[in-house]
Amino acid sequence: MYMHVSELVAAAQVKQQPIYELMITQEMSVTHASRDDIWQAMGRNLDVMAAAIEKGAAGEGVHSKTGLTGGEAVLLKKYREKGHTLAGDTVMEAVQNAVATSEVNAAMGVVCATPTAGSAGTLPGVLFTLKDRLDLNRDQMIQFLFTAGAFGMIIANNAGIAGATGGCQAEVGSASAMAASAAVAIAGGTPEQSSEALAIAISNLLGLVCDPVAGLVELPCVKRNAIGVGNALIAADMALAGCTNKIPADEVIVAMDKIGKNLPDSLRETGLGGLAATPTAVRIKERIFGHHPTAQA
Amino acid sequence: MFDIIGPVMIGPSSSHTAGACAIGRAAHSIFKTKPTDIVIHYYDSFAKTHKGHGTDYAIISGILGFAPDDARVPYAIKLAQDAGINMTFIAEVKASPIHHPNTAIIELKNQQKSIVVAGCSIGGGTIEIREIKMDGFDIKPRGPLPILLVPGSEADHHMITKLLSKLTEVTDQKHYQAEDHNLYEYDLDRQLQHTEVQKLAADYGQLVYLQGVS
Repeated sequence: MYMHVSELVAAAQVKQQPIYELMITQEMSVTHASRDDIWQAMGRNLDVMAAAIEKGAAGEGVHSKTGLTGGEAVLLKKYREKGHTLAGDTVMEAVQNAVATSEVNAAMGVVCATPTAGSAGTLPGVLFTLKDRLDLNRDQMIQFLFTAGAFGMIIANNAGIAGATGGCQAEVGSASAMAASAAVAIAGGTPEQSSEALAIAISNLLGLVCDPVAGLVELPCVKRNAIGVGNALIAADMALAGCTNKIPADEVIVAMDKIGKNLPDSLRETGLGGLAATPTAVRIKERIFGHHPTAQA
Repeated sequence: MFDIIGPVMIGPSSSHTAGACAIGRAAHSIFKTKPTDIVIHYYDSFAKTHKGHGTDYAIISGILGFAPDDARVPYAIKLAQDAGINMTFIAEVKASPIHHPNTAIIELKNQQKSIVVAGCSIGGGTIEIREIKMDGFDIKPRGPLPILLVPGSEADHHMITKLLSKLTEVTDQKHYQAEDHNLYEYDLDRQLQHTEVQKLAADYGQLVYLQGVS
Protein backbone atom coordinates (compact mmCIF):
# COMPACT_ATOMS: atom_id res chain seq x y z
CA MET A 1 0.00 0.00 0.00
CA TYR A 2 1.35 3.40 -0.93
CA MET A 3 0.79 5.59 2.11
CA HIS A 4 2.44 8.80 0.85
CA VAL A 5 2.59 10.71 -2.43
CA SER A 6 6.39 10.76 -2.22
CA GLU A 7 6.42 6.94 -2.02
CA LEU A 8 4.15 6.59 -5.04
CA VAL A 9 6.22 9.02 -7.13
CA ALA A 10 9.47 7.29 -6.13
CA ALA A 11 8.04 3.86 -6.98
CA ALA A 12 6.96 5.10 -10.41
CA GLN A 13 10.45 6.45 -11.04
CA VAL A 14 12.32 3.38 -9.77
CA LYS A 15 10.09 0.84 -11.51
CA GLN A 16 9.75 3.01 -14.62
CA GLN A 17 6.02 2.32 -14.60
CA PRO A 18 3.10 4.69 -14.93
CA ILE A 19 1.16 5.31 -11.73
CA TYR A 20 -1.99 3.65 -13.02
CA GLU A 21 0.01 0.45 -13.52
CA LEU A 22 1.28 0.56 -9.92
CA MET A 23 -2.30 1.04 -8.79
CA ILE A 24 -3.62 -1.96 -10.73
CA THR A 25 -0.81 -4.14 -9.33
CA GLN A 26 -1.60 -3.00 -5.80
CA GLU A 27 -5.31 -3.65 -6.29
CA MET A 28 -4.62 -7.17 -7.58
CA SER A 29 -2.50 -7.99 -4.56
CA VAL A 30 -4.98 -6.47 -2.09
CA THR A 31 -8.16 -8.02 -3.48
CA HIS A 32 -6.85 -11.20 -5.18
CA ALA A 33 -9.02 -10.26 -8.16
CA SER A 34 -7.72 -10.65 -11.72
CA ARG A 35 -6.35 -7.74 -13.73
CA ASP A 36 -9.19 -8.15 -16.18
CA ASP A 37 -11.88 -8.01 -13.46
CA ILE A 38 -10.34 -4.86 -11.97
CA TRP A 39 -10.08 -3.23 -15.38
CA GLN A 40 -13.69 -4.11 -16.23
CA ALA A 41 -14.94 -2.77 -12.89
CA MET A 42 -13.27 0.57 -13.56
CA GLY A 43 -14.77 0.52 -17.05
CA ARG A 44 -18.23 0.21 -15.51
CA ASN A 45 -17.52 3.24 -13.33
CA LEU A 46 -16.52 5.13 -16.48
CA ASP A 47 -19.82 4.16 -18.11
CA VAL A 48 -21.80 5.47 -15.11
CA MET A 49 -19.91 8.77 -15.35
CA ALA A 50 -20.61 9.07 -19.09
CA ALA A 51 -24.30 8.37 -18.57
CA ALA A 52 -24.66 11.03 -15.85
CA ILE A 53 -22.89 13.67 -17.96
CA GLU A 54 -25.20 12.94 -20.86
CA LYS A 55 -28.38 12.76 -18.79
CA GLY A 56 -27.78 16.04 -17.00
CA ALA A 57 -27.35 18.01 -20.22
CA ALA A 58 -29.96 16.28 -22.40
CA GLY A 59 -33.32 17.87 -23.26
CA GLU A 60 -34.54 20.01 -20.37
CA GLY A 61 -31.95 18.49 -18.04
CA VAL A 62 -32.75 16.98 -14.64
CA HIS A 63 -34.33 18.69 -11.62
CA SER A 64 -34.16 17.83 -7.94
CA LYS A 65 -37.33 17.19 -5.93
CA THR A 66 -36.92 20.48 -4.06
CA GLY A 67 -36.44 22.49 -7.25
CA LEU A 68 -33.28 24.07 -5.80
CA THR A 69 -31.01 22.70 -8.51
CA GLY A 70 -31.34 21.43 -12.05
CA GLY A 71 -31.40 22.58 -15.65
CA GLU A 72 -28.21 24.62 -15.43
CA ALA A 73 -26.07 22.11 -17.35
CA VAL A 74 -28.49 22.73 -20.21
CA LEU A 75 -28.10 26.49 -19.83
CA LEU A 76 -24.33 26.06 -19.98
CA LYS A 77 -24.58 23.87 -23.07
CA LYS A 78 -26.69 26.45 -24.90
CA TYR A 79 -24.37 29.26 -23.80
CA ARG A 80 -21.32 27.36 -25.06
CA GLU A 81 -22.98 26.85 -28.45
CA LYS A 82 -22.89 30.60 -29.02
CA GLY A 83 -19.10 30.42 -28.88
CA HIS A 84 -18.43 33.49 -26.76
CA THR A 85 -17.40 32.04 -23.41
CA LEU A 86 -14.95 34.13 -21.42
CA ALA A 87 -12.97 31.24 -19.91
CA GLY A 88 -12.72 29.30 -23.17
CA ASP A 89 -14.59 26.22 -24.29
CA THR A 90 -12.36 23.63 -22.58
CA VAL A 91 -13.01 25.09 -19.15
CA MET A 92 -16.70 25.61 -19.81
CA GLU A 93 -17.16 22.12 -21.21
CA ALA A 94 -15.63 20.79 -17.98
CA VAL A 95 -17.96 23.03 -15.97
CA GLN A 96 -20.97 21.78 -17.92
CA ASN A 97 -19.95 18.15 -17.33
CA ALA A 98 -19.42 18.75 -13.62
CA VAL A 99 -22.75 20.55 -13.20
CA ALA A 100 -24.59 17.89 -15.23
CA THR A 101 -23.24 15.11 -13.01
CA SER A 102 -23.91 16.96 -9.79
CA GLU A 103 -27.45 17.83 -10.89
CA VAL A 104 -28.09 14.14 -11.58
CA ASN A 105 -26.81 13.38 -8.09
CA ALA A 106 -29.07 15.98 -6.48
CA ALA A 107 -32.01 14.55 -8.45
CA MET A 108 -31.36 11.09 -6.93
CA GLY A 109 -29.93 9.71 -10.15
CA VAL A 110 -27.09 7.20 -10.42
CA VAL A 111 -23.55 8.57 -10.06
CA CYS A 112 -20.10 7.22 -9.33
CA ALA A 113 -18.96 8.78 -6.05
CA THR A 114 -15.41 10.10 -6.66
CA PRO A 115 -14.41 10.32 -3.87
CA THR A 116 -17.86 11.29 -2.58
CA ALA A 117 -21.28 11.83 -4.16
CA GLY A 118 -21.25 15.54 -3.30
CA SER A 119 -18.02 15.91 -5.28
CA ALA A 120 -18.97 13.39 -7.98
CA GLY A 121 -18.99 15.99 -10.78
CA THR A 122 -15.39 17.10 -10.52
CA LEU A 123 -13.36 14.12 -11.74
CA PRO A 124 -15.63 13.19 -14.68
CA GLY A 125 -15.97 16.88 -15.48
CA VAL A 126 -12.24 17.08 -16.15
CA LEU A 127 -11.91 13.62 -17.69
CA PHE A 128 -14.60 13.97 -20.35
CA THR A 129 -13.30 17.37 -21.37
CA LEU A 130 -9.78 15.97 -21.78
CA LYS A 131 -11.28 13.16 -23.82
CA ASP A 132 -12.26 15.73 -26.43
CA ARG A 133 -9.25 17.97 -25.97
CA LEU A 134 -6.61 15.18 -26.10
CA ASP A 135 -8.62 12.69 -28.14
CA LEU A 136 -8.42 10.00 -25.43
CA ASN A 137 -9.58 6.46 -26.15
CA ARG A 138 -11.46 4.28 -23.65
CA ASP A 139 -8.30 2.61 -22.32
CA GLN A 140 -6.68 5.97 -21.64
CA MET A 141 -9.80 7.15 -19.82
CA ILE A 142 -9.68 4.07 -17.59
CA GLN A 143 -5.96 4.72 -16.98
CA PHE A 144 -6.90 8.25 -15.90
CA LEU A 145 -9.30 6.83 -13.32
CA PHE A 146 -6.68 4.45 -11.88
CA THR A 147 -4.17 7.31 -11.60
CA ALA A 148 -6.75 9.49 -9.88
CA GLY A 149 -7.65 6.58 -7.58
CA ALA A 150 -4.01 6.08 -6.60
CA PHE A 151 -3.67 9.69 -5.47
CA GLY A 152 -7.17 9.66 -3.94
CA MET A 153 -6.36 6.64 -1.79
CA ILE A 154 -3.32 8.41 -0.38
CA ILE A 155 -5.42 11.47 0.45
CA ALA A 156 -8.05 9.26 2.13
CA ASN A 157 -5.37 7.40 4.10
CA ASN A 158 -3.98 10.62 5.54
CA ALA A 159 -7.04 12.88 5.85
CA GLY A 160 -10.81 12.50 6.20
CA ILE A 161 -12.73 12.82 2.94
CA ALA A 162 -16.22 13.31 4.38
CA GLY A 163 -17.70 16.79 4.58
CA ALA A 164 -18.76 15.95 8.14
CA THR A 165 -15.15 15.43 9.20
CA GLY A 166 -13.16 17.62 6.81
CA GLY A 167 -15.45 20.18 5.18
CA CYS A 168 -15.81 20.66 1.40
CA GLN A 169 -12.03 21.04 1.01
CA ALA A 170 -11.91 17.31 1.73
CA GLU A 171 -14.59 16.50 -0.86
CA VAL A 172 -14.32 18.89 -3.84
CA GLY A 173 -10.73 19.70 -2.81
CA SER A 174 -9.73 16.03 -2.90
CA ALA A 175 -11.65 15.42 -6.12
CA SER A 176 -10.01 18.43 -7.74
CA ALA A 177 -6.55 17.26 -6.65
CA MET A 178 -7.19 13.73 -7.93
CA ALA A 179 -8.35 15.15 -11.27
CA ALA A 180 -5.37 17.52 -11.51
CA SER A 181 -2.79 14.81 -10.88
CA ALA A 182 -4.43 12.39 -13.32
CA ALA A 183 -4.78 15.15 -15.94
CA VAL A 184 -1.03 15.78 -15.76
CA ALA A 185 -0.28 12.07 -16.21
CA ILE A 186 -2.62 11.59 -19.18
CA ALA A 187 -1.19 14.73 -20.82
CA GLY A 188 2.30 13.23 -20.67
CA GLY A 189 3.62 14.89 -17.51
CA THR A 190 5.92 13.19 -15.03
CA PRO A 191 4.82 11.58 -11.73
CA GLU A 192 6.64 14.45 -10.00
CA GLN A 193 4.50 16.95 -11.94
CA SER A 194 1.35 15.01 -10.97
CA SER A 195 2.38 15.37 -7.35
CA GLU A 196 2.88 19.13 -7.82
CA ALA A 197 -0.53 19.46 -9.48
CA LEU A 198 -2.10 17.67 -6.51
CA ALA A 199 -0.34 19.94 -4.05
CA ILE A 200 -1.36 23.09 -5.95
CA ALA A 201 -4.97 21.96 -6.34
CA ILE A 202 -5.48 21.15 -2.66
CA SER A 203 -3.61 24.24 -1.48
CA ASN A 204 -5.96 26.43 -3.52
CA LEU A 205 -9.07 25.01 -1.88
CA LEU A 206 -7.84 24.69 1.71
CA GLY A 207 -10.40 25.89 4.20
CA LEU A 208 -13.41 25.35 1.97
CA VAL A 209 -16.32 24.67 4.34
CA CYS A 210 -19.26 22.28 4.02
CA ASP A 211 -22.39 24.41 4.47
CA PRO A 212 -25.23 22.80 2.52
CA VAL A 213 -28.42 24.86 2.43
CA ALA A 214 -31.19 22.98 4.30
CA GLY A 215 -28.68 20.15 4.72
CA LEU A 216 -29.20 19.16 1.09
CA VAL A 217 -26.46 18.24 -1.39
CA GLU A 218 -27.60 20.99 -3.76
CA LEU A 219 -26.60 24.56 -2.82
CA PRO A 220 -23.69 25.30 -3.04
CA CYS A 221 -22.52 21.73 -3.79
CA VAL A 222 -23.36 21.63 -7.51
CA LYS A 223 -21.44 24.83 -8.29
CA ARG A 224 -18.54 23.88 -6.02
CA ASN A 225 -17.93 21.07 -8.49
CA ALA A 226 -17.61 23.74 -11.19
CA ILE A 227 -14.86 25.42 -9.21
CA GLY A 228 -13.32 21.98 -8.65
CA VAL A 229 -12.85 21.41 -12.40
CA GLY A 230 -11.55 24.91 -13.06
CA ASN A 231 -9.07 24.56 -10.22
CA ALA A 232 -7.97 21.11 -11.43
CA LEU A 233 -7.31 22.27 -14.99
CA ILE A 234 -5.40 25.32 -13.76
CA ALA A 235 -3.31 23.28 -11.31
CA ALA A 236 -2.55 20.69 -14.01
CA ASP A 237 -1.49 23.34 -16.52
CA MET A 238 0.68 25.07 -13.93
CA ALA A 239 2.42 21.81 -13.03
CA LEU A 240 2.93 20.95 -16.70
CA ALA A 241 4.43 24.42 -17.20
CA GLY A 242 6.98 23.56 -14.53
CA CYS A 243 5.51 25.58 -11.64
CA THR A 244 5.99 23.97 -8.23
CA ASN A 245 4.02 24.29 -5.02
CA LYS A 246 7.10 24.52 -2.75
CA ILE A 247 5.09 22.87 0.07
CA PRO A 248 5.15 19.14 -0.81
CA ALA A 249 1.91 17.25 -1.52
CA ASP A 250 2.13 15.05 1.58
CA GLU A 251 2.44 18.07 3.87
CA VAL A 252 -0.47 19.79 2.11
CA ILE A 253 -2.66 16.73 2.75
CA VAL A 254 -1.79 16.78 6.45
CA ALA A 255 -2.54 20.51 6.57
CA MET A 256 -5.95 19.84 5.05
CA ASP A 257 -6.67 17.19 7.65
CA LYS A 258 -5.73 19.54 10.49
CA ILE A 259 -7.83 22.38 9.07
CA GLY A 260 -10.78 19.99 8.76
CA LYS A 261 -10.48 18.95 12.38
CA ASN A 262 -10.36 22.58 13.45
CA LEU A 263 -13.51 23.56 11.56
CA PRO A 264 -16.46 24.20 13.86
CA ASP A 265 -19.35 21.72 13.71
CA SER A 266 -21.53 24.33 12.04
CA LEU A 267 -19.27 24.21 8.94
CA ARG A 268 -19.00 20.44 8.69
CA GLU A 269 -22.10 19.20 6.90
CA THR A 270 -24.60 20.05 9.59
CA GLY A 271 -26.43 22.64 7.48
CA LEU A 272 -26.17 25.12 10.37
CA GLY A 273 -23.47 27.62 9.38
CA GLY A 274 -22.06 29.47 6.38
CA LEU A 275 -24.44 29.80 3.44
CA ALA A 276 -26.88 27.48 5.24
CA ALA A 277 -27.31 30.14 7.95
CA THR A 278 -28.17 33.02 5.59
CA PRO A 279 -31.72 34.42 5.80
CA THR A 280 -32.56 33.09 2.34
CA ALA A 281 -31.26 29.63 3.22
CA VAL A 282 -33.30 29.59 6.42
CA ARG A 283 -36.42 30.49 4.41
CA ILE A 284 -35.63 27.70 1.92
CA LYS A 285 -35.23 25.22 4.75
CA GLU A 286 -38.57 26.22 6.26
CA ARG A 287 -40.29 25.98 2.89
CA ILE A 288 -38.98 22.44 2.39
CA PHE A 289 -39.18 20.96 5.87
CA GLY A 290 -41.40 23.26 7.91
CA HIS A 291 -40.09 24.78 11.14
CA HIS A 292 -38.60 21.71 12.81
CA PRO A 293 -36.63 19.87 10.17
CA THR A 294 -34.65 17.70 12.57
CA ALA A 295 -37.56 16.53 14.70
CA GLN A 296 -38.68 12.94 14.47
CA ALA A 297 -39.65 11.83 11.01
CA MET B 1 -9.56 1.56 -4.56
CA PHE B 2 -13.19 1.25 -5.59
CA ASP B 3 -14.32 3.13 -2.53
CA ILE B 4 -12.37 6.14 -3.87
CA ILE B 5 -13.48 5.81 -7.53
CA GLY B 6 -16.95 4.64 -6.52
CA PRO B 7 -19.23 3.30 -5.29
CA VAL B 8 -21.80 3.64 -8.04
CA MET B 9 -24.83 4.85 -6.14
CA ILE B 10 -28.11 6.72 -6.11
CA GLY B 11 -27.55 10.31 -4.92
CA PRO B 12 -27.28 12.61 -3.22
CA SER B 13 -24.60 12.05 -0.53
CA SER B 14 -22.05 9.26 -0.33
CA SER B 15 -21.62 9.46 3.42
CA HIS B 16 -25.32 10.08 4.15
CA THR B 17 -26.82 7.87 1.42
CA ALA B 18 -24.40 5.16 0.25
CA GLY B 19 -22.75 5.00 3.68
CA ALA B 20 -26.13 4.82 5.42
CA CYS B 21 -27.17 2.08 3.00
CA ALA B 22 -23.96 0.19 3.88
CA ILE B 23 -24.68 0.44 7.64
CA GLY B 24 -28.17 -0.87 6.89
CA ARG B 25 -26.69 -3.73 4.86
CA ALA B 26 -24.41 -4.65 7.75
CA ALA B 27 -27.49 -4.93 9.98
CA HIS B 28 -29.18 -6.98 7.25
CA SER B 29 -26.19 -9.37 7.10
CA ILE B 30 -26.37 -9.88 10.86
CA PHE B 31 -30.14 -10.17 11.21
CA LYS B 32 -30.51 -12.33 8.07
CA THR B 33 -34.34 -12.41 8.22
CA LYS B 34 -37.14 -9.86 7.88
CA PRO B 35 -37.63 -7.53 10.86
CA THR B 36 -41.05 -6.44 12.07
CA ASP B 37 -39.70 -3.34 13.79
CA ILE B 38 -36.88 -0.98 12.86
CA VAL B 39 -35.70 1.83 15.14
CA ILE B 40 -32.94 4.15 13.89
CA HIS B 41 -31.09 6.56 16.17
CA TYR B 42 -29.18 9.33 14.39
CA TYR B 43 -26.42 11.43 15.92
CA ASP B 44 -24.67 14.72 15.02
CA SER B 45 -24.52 15.36 11.25
CA PHE B 46 -26.82 12.42 10.60
CA ALA B 47 -29.32 13.82 13.13
CA LYS B 48 -29.25 17.27 11.57
CA THR B 49 -29.48 16.34 7.90
CA HIS B 50 -30.93 12.85 7.57
CA LYS B 51 -34.10 14.04 5.84
CA GLY B 52 -32.41 16.21 3.26
CA HIS B 53 -29.75 13.69 2.40
CA GLY B 54 -32.12 10.78 1.91
CA THR B 55 -30.51 8.95 4.82
CA ASP B 56 -33.87 7.45 5.85
CA TYR B 57 -34.60 5.66 2.60
CA ALA B 58 -30.93 4.75 2.20
CA ILE B 59 -30.61 3.06 5.58
CA ILE B 60 -33.93 1.23 5.15
CA SER B 61 -32.88 0.06 1.68
CA GLY B 62 -29.73 -1.41 3.21
CA ILE B 63 -31.76 -3.17 5.91
CA LEU B 64 -33.92 -4.61 3.12
CA GLY B 65 -30.70 -5.86 1.48
CA PHE B 66 -30.57 -3.49 -1.52
CA ALA B 67 -27.25 -2.40 -3.04
CA PRO B 68 -26.62 1.40 -3.09
CA ASP B 69 -27.23 1.62 -6.85
CA ASP B 70 -30.47 -0.40 -6.75
CA ALA B 71 -33.23 1.53 -8.51
CA ARG B 72 -35.56 0.73 -5.56
CA VAL B 73 -33.39 2.72 -3.09
CA PRO B 74 -35.46 5.97 -3.18
CA TYR B 75 -38.67 3.95 -2.62
CA ALA B 76 -37.37 1.78 0.24
CA ILE B 77 -39.57 3.36 2.95
CA LYS B 78 -42.74 2.76 0.96
CA LEU B 79 -41.64 -0.81 0.22
CA ALA B 80 -40.95 -1.47 3.91
CA GLN B 81 -44.33 0.01 4.89
CA ASP B 82 -46.06 -2.21 2.34
CA ALA B 83 -44.26 -5.19 3.88
CA GLY B 84 -45.78 -4.27 7.25
CA ILE B 85 -42.53 -3.16 8.90
CA ASN B 86 -42.78 -0.49 11.62
CA MET B 87 -40.11 2.20 11.30
CA THR B 88 -39.08 4.88 13.79
CA PHE B 89 -36.40 7.50 13.14
CA ILE B 90 -35.01 9.38 16.11
CA ALA B 91 -32.72 12.41 15.76
CA GLU B 92 -30.71 12.25 18.99
CA VAL B 93 -29.44 15.43 20.61
CA LYS B 94 -26.67 13.66 22.55
CA ALA B 95 -23.19 13.16 21.10
CA SER B 96 -22.53 9.92 19.26
CA PRO B 97 -21.80 7.08 21.70
CA ILE B 98 -19.32 5.71 19.14
CA HIS B 99 -17.65 9.09 18.63
CA HIS B 100 -18.25 9.96 14.99
CA PRO B 101 -20.44 12.76 13.53
CA ASN B 102 -22.07 10.43 10.98
CA THR B 103 -23.46 7.84 13.37
CA ALA B 104 -26.53 5.62 13.07
CA ILE B 105 -27.57 2.99 15.58
CA ILE B 106 -29.99 0.44 14.19
CA GLU B 107 -32.30 -1.76 16.27
CA LEU B 108 -33.98 -4.64 14.43
CA LYS B 109 -36.58 -6.88 15.96
CA ASN B 110 -39.03 -9.65 15.12
CA GLN B 111 -40.73 -12.38 17.15
CA GLN B 112 -37.59 -14.53 17.24
CA LYS B 113 -34.78 -12.08 17.99
CA SER B 114 -33.45 -8.57 18.22
CA ILE B 115 -30.10 -6.99 17.39
CA VAL B 116 -28.43 -3.58 17.73
CA VAL B 117 -25.80 -2.35 15.26
CA ALA B 118 -23.85 0.89 15.74
CA GLY B 119 -22.14 2.16 12.60
CA CYS B 120 -20.60 5.33 11.28
CA SER B 121 -20.06 6.63 7.78
CA ILE B 122 -16.53 7.90 7.40
CA GLY B 123 -16.72 9.33 3.87
CA GLY B 124 -17.17 8.29 0.24
CA GLY B 125 -19.58 5.52 1.22
CA THR B 126 -17.07 3.74 3.47
CA ILE B 127 -18.32 2.71 6.91
CA GLU B 128 -17.14 1.32 10.20
CA ILE B 129 -19.14 -0.93 12.56
CA ARG B 130 -18.17 -0.23 16.15
CA GLU B 131 -20.72 -2.18 18.17
CA ILE B 132 -23.01 -5.16 17.61
CA LYS B 133 -25.41 -6.69 20.12
CA MET B 134 -26.67 -10.11 19.04
CA ASP B 135 -27.56 -13.42 20.71
CA GLY B 136 -26.46 -12.12 24.11
CA PHE B 137 -23.04 -11.03 22.80
CA ASP B 138 -21.84 -7.43 23.02
CA ILE B 139 -19.30 -7.22 20.23
CA LYS B 140 -17.05 -4.18 19.96
CA PRO B 141 -14.92 -4.25 16.82
CA ARG B 142 -12.34 -1.53 16.15
CA GLY B 143 -14.51 -0.51 13.21
CA PRO B 144 -12.98 -1.04 9.77
CA LEU B 145 -14.52 -3.75 7.58
CA PRO B 146 -14.34 -6.52 6.49
CA ILE B 147 -15.16 -8.39 9.70
CA LEU B 148 -16.04 -12.06 10.06
CA LEU B 149 -18.07 -13.23 13.09
CA VAL B 150 -18.25 -16.95 13.80
CA PRO B 151 -20.28 -18.44 16.68
CA GLY B 152 -18.80 -21.79 17.64
CA SER B 153 -16.40 -23.80 19.78
CA GLU B 154 -12.69 -23.42 20.30
CA ALA B 155 -12.14 -26.22 17.80
CA ASP B 156 -14.14 -24.22 15.25
CA HIS B 157 -11.98 -21.22 16.01
CA HIS B 158 -8.80 -23.19 15.26
CA MET B 159 -10.28 -24.46 12.01
CA ILE B 160 -11.44 -21.00 10.91
CA THR B 161 -8.06 -19.51 11.77
CA LYS B 162 -6.41 -22.15 9.59
CA LEU B 163 -8.80 -21.53 6.69
CA LEU B 164 -8.41 -17.75 6.93
CA SER B 165 -4.61 -17.96 7.03
CA LYS B 166 -4.72 -19.31 3.48
CA LEU B 167 -6.89 -16.40 2.34
CA THR B 168 -5.72 -13.23 4.05
CA GLU B 169 -4.12 -11.70 7.09
CA VAL B 170 -6.25 -11.50 10.25
CA THR B 171 -5.40 -8.05 11.60
CA ASP B 172 -7.25 -8.50 14.88
CA GLN B 173 -9.24 -11.21 16.58
CA LYS B 174 -11.40 -11.31 19.68
CA HIS B 175 -13.23 -13.94 21.67
CA TYR B 176 -16.64 -13.23 23.23
CA GLN B 177 -18.59 -15.35 25.68
CA ALA B 178 -22.30 -15.27 26.57
CA GLU B 179 -23.39 -17.93 29.03
CA ASP B 180 -21.95 -21.13 27.53
CA HIS B 181 -21.82 -19.80 23.95
CA ASN B 182 -18.70 -18.55 22.23
CA LEU B 183 -18.24 -16.16 19.35
CA TYR B 184 -15.06 -15.24 17.53
CA GLU B 185 -14.41 -11.98 15.70
CA TYR B 186 -11.83 -11.74 12.91
CA ASP B 187 -10.86 -8.40 11.36
CA LEU B 188 -9.59 -9.13 7.86
CA ASP B 189 -6.97 -7.37 5.79
CA ARG B 190 -8.92 -7.61 2.53
CA GLN B 191 -12.41 -8.18 1.11
CA LEU B 192 -13.14 -11.82 0.52
CA GLN B 193 -14.40 -12.86 -2.88
CA HIS B 194 -18.04 -14.01 -2.92
CA THR B 195 -17.00 -17.63 -3.59
CA GLU B 196 -14.57 -17.61 -0.65
CA VAL B 197 -17.35 -16.54 1.74
CA GLN B 198 -19.66 -19.20 0.32
CA LYS B 199 -17.04 -21.89 0.98
CA LEU B 200 -16.66 -20.81 4.61
CA ALA B 201 -20.44 -20.58 5.04
CA ALA B 202 -20.86 -24.15 3.80
CA ASP B 203 -19.28 -25.41 7.04
CA TYR B 204 -20.18 -22.53 9.33
CA GLY B 205 -23.76 -21.58 8.45
CA GLN B 206 -24.07 -19.20 11.40
CA LEU B 207 -21.17 -16.97 10.31
CA VAL B 208 -21.70 -13.28 9.64
CA TYR B 209 -19.51 -11.61 7.01
CA LEU B 210 -19.55 -7.83 7.01
CA GLN B 211 -18.01 -6.62 3.80
CA GLY B 212 -16.49 -3.21 3.16
CA VAL B 213 -17.76 -1.82 -0.14
CA SER B 214 -20.96 -3.36 -1.42
